[in-house]
Amino acid sequence: MLTFTWRSLVQRARRLWRGSLQLRTVAITVLLSTLAVTVVSGYMSLSIAANLYEARKNQAIAEARQATVSAQALFDSSVSANGTIDVEAVSRTAQTTIRSVASSPGGTEFAILRTPGQTTEVTMTATQTRALDLSVISDELREQVAQDDGQLYTQAVTLNAATGRPDPGLVVGGVFEVPTAGQYELYLVYNVRDVQQTLDFVQQTLVIGSLLLVGTIGLVTYFVTRLAIGPVRIAAETAEKLAEGELDRRIPEKGEDVIATLARSFNRMADSLQRQITQLATLSRVQQRFVSDVSHELRTPLTTIRLAGDVLYEQRDQFSPTTARTAELLHAQVDRFEAMLADLLEMSRYDAGAVDIDTEPTNLVRLVEESLDALRPLADEKGSELRLVAPGGYFEADVDARRIRRILQNLLGNAVDHGEGRPIVVHVDSDATAVAIAVRDYGVGMDAGQLERVFDRFWRADPSRQRTTGGTGLGLAIATEDAQLHGGTLDVWSEPGEGSCFRLTLPRERGATVHHSPVDLPPAEPLEVDLLGTDGLALERGEEDA
Amino acid sequence: MTARILVVDDDAAIAEMVGIVLRGEGFDPHFSYDGPAAMEAFASVKPDLVLLDLMLPGMDGIEVCTRIRETSGTPIIMLTAKSDSTDVVRGLESGADDYVVKPFNPKELVARIRTRLRPAAQSSVERLPIGDLVIDVTGHEVTRDGVPIALTPLEFDLLLALAMKPNQVFTREMLLEQVWGYQYKADTRLVNVHVQRLRAKVELDADNPRIVMTVRGVGYRAGTAR
Repeated sequence: MLTFTWRSLVQRARRLWRGSLQLRTVAITVLLSTLAVTVVSGYMSLSIAANLYEARKNQAIAEARQATVSAQALFDSSVSANGTIDVEAVSRTAQTTIRSVASSPGGTEFAILRTPGQTTEVTMTATQTRALDLSVISDELREQVAQDDGQLYTQAVTLNAATGRPDPGLVVGGVFEVPTAGQYELYLVYNVRDVQQTLDFVQQTLVIGSLLLVGTIGLVTYFVTRLAIGPVRIAAETAEKLAEGELDRRIPEKGEDVIATLARSFNRMADSLQRQITQLATLSRVQQRFVSDVSHELRTPLTTIRLAGDVLYEQRDQFSPTTARTAELLHAQVDRFEAMLADLLEMSRYDAGAVDIDTEPTNLVRLVEESLDALRPLADEKGSELRLVAPGGYFEADVDARRIRRILQNLLGNAVDHGEGRPIVVHVDSDATAVAIAVRDYGVGMDAGQLERVFDRFWRADPSRQRTTGGTGLGLAIATEDAQLHGGTLDVWSEPGEGSCFRLTLPRERGATVHHSPVDLPPAEPLEVDLLGTDGLALERGEEDA
Repeated sequence: MTARILVVDDDAAIAEMVGIVLRGEGFDPHFSYDGPAAMEAFASVKPDLVLLDLMLPGMDGIEVCTRIRETSGTPIIMLTAKSDSTDVVRGLESGADDYVVKPFNPKELVARIRTRLRPAAQSSVERLPIGDLVIDVTGHEVTRDGVPIALTPLEFDLLLALAMKPNQVFTREMLLEQVWGYQYKADTRLVNVHVQRLRAKVELDADNPRIVMTVRGVGYRAGTAR
């Protein structure tokens, strides 16, 4: 659960990161400026510390030197004429002198220690200020100092002050010669807390300053990007709305800068888009209107012609043979003209995009049966046996029954026309998403060139062939449109001399599209063996609807 | 007696040709060429049936249809050039009994006319109950608690067809065959629209029908007699 929450949090952050250009810009700017400021202030802090410390050290050394020199001078001048010296008295005076010389802030402690390992006639008492802890003067330092090479030696130490907090300290050591008493070492111990305090303050100021700087940079970046990205975001939102069809959307145009140029160009583009879409919509409306008008205008005279032709046709046996034949021709051609007009109007409706499908759950097996029944008289006339193979049994699909019936009548009509009197087999099958109807004939078939053109408008496989089912040359084109309207497909297989197979595949639910078909093309044929046989074959049927 | 048929069409050629066909079949056609003239002719000729073009100058077919229905139940067959437009539904909703799509053939037209003119189905009983209504078969009258309800002949036929077999569920196709005389698949909108019109007249609460009951996915049946 916890990991899940964590993961979702990470995912949200990632989404936010990817989704917001502004967040990215601000974050990257802040990160980089933090890095730069850290480096700069680190360098500053280090060099300030070094300088401060160096200055203090130099001051301490100078003081120590003067103290040593003063002490030496004092001792040297205190030797009496007879060569004796009251070392203890001089030592006290020297201590006062040292104290007055070494008067740095922070308090200075000192110690006068006898260099070990000498034998002299008198010994001066080693002395030290009260607050000094002798342990801070390390043996290494004492050894260096005792060499008496005229140099002063320093060492950084830690002082345990009365406050309980350890303070940084500096020990400077030098030597002087006490007449009759030998070599003594003078150690001055400086408390450099004040330097550390100054350094601390400087560092603190640097850190606060850096934080403020980074914060300011972040804020500035935020506002600048907002200024720059804001109009881009508005443009993006407007483009989105425009794409969704709100053609009236525009970007507000302000100023003369590049953003304003973007807005103006975008708006010009939107204007032209809107104009063209409106124009297309008007054209489409005009087209539909035209179709509707043509429909009415042509049908009115055609109705009269049709009625007249039929009246004449009914009375043809009272006419002379020539006139009678004329009446027959008139009758037949008026029928054909009517069918053609209907197909043409249907076609132009598709072209105008003015077609809606009216779907309802339909049992396709029953639909195929009805179509087969309707075609049976014609098929009998041609000698073709009609068979149905429906292994899938009972199923329903959401289709426009009128359009599917029209497709079936067209496919079956073609099959009968080109079937050479051989059986015609209709396969119906379905799976979870699609239903398919395949109409297979064993007639003349088509070669590759014909196959290519078979769905073209006004194309006929064999113009000279005697047609029995009317035929306007638009049937398959309309069938294709009808199939596409359902989100389905119509495809074909054919071999010269072996016949043809047209397969209609439809999605079971409206709005879906098909990607595969439940029936192979050409379908696997359980009936192949019996095709040319004469014995009647029972229809293979699944369970029919109750 | 020859049935008088009023042919209303603005195209004189169609009107004349339809007239020739109708005379050949033994009807007595009268003609008018626009809406107002149709209304006058309807009053003076008192036709047994009206053939009405939907697109008319002056007053369109829908309005003529509505005006005729206000005063009379005379059968009206629309002539329309549009088979799949909303015009058909509007025509049916305004009271037309049936429609024929141009171009039509004479046999089809005559068959439609004869169906609408034939006497209603014969019943062995004189009075039939349906819901809380009583159908007087011979008197061609429907009453609720003795108060007559005015129905067009088609609506009467529809109600009678349901009442004669109270236990039968009728599919739309069955009703198309029995009431409209279609032998083949026809437009089931005919049934839907006329059931709505019938319900508007006979139901006390059209949203909750008690006389013409819907059987979901199948069709309609008669409400139980009270």
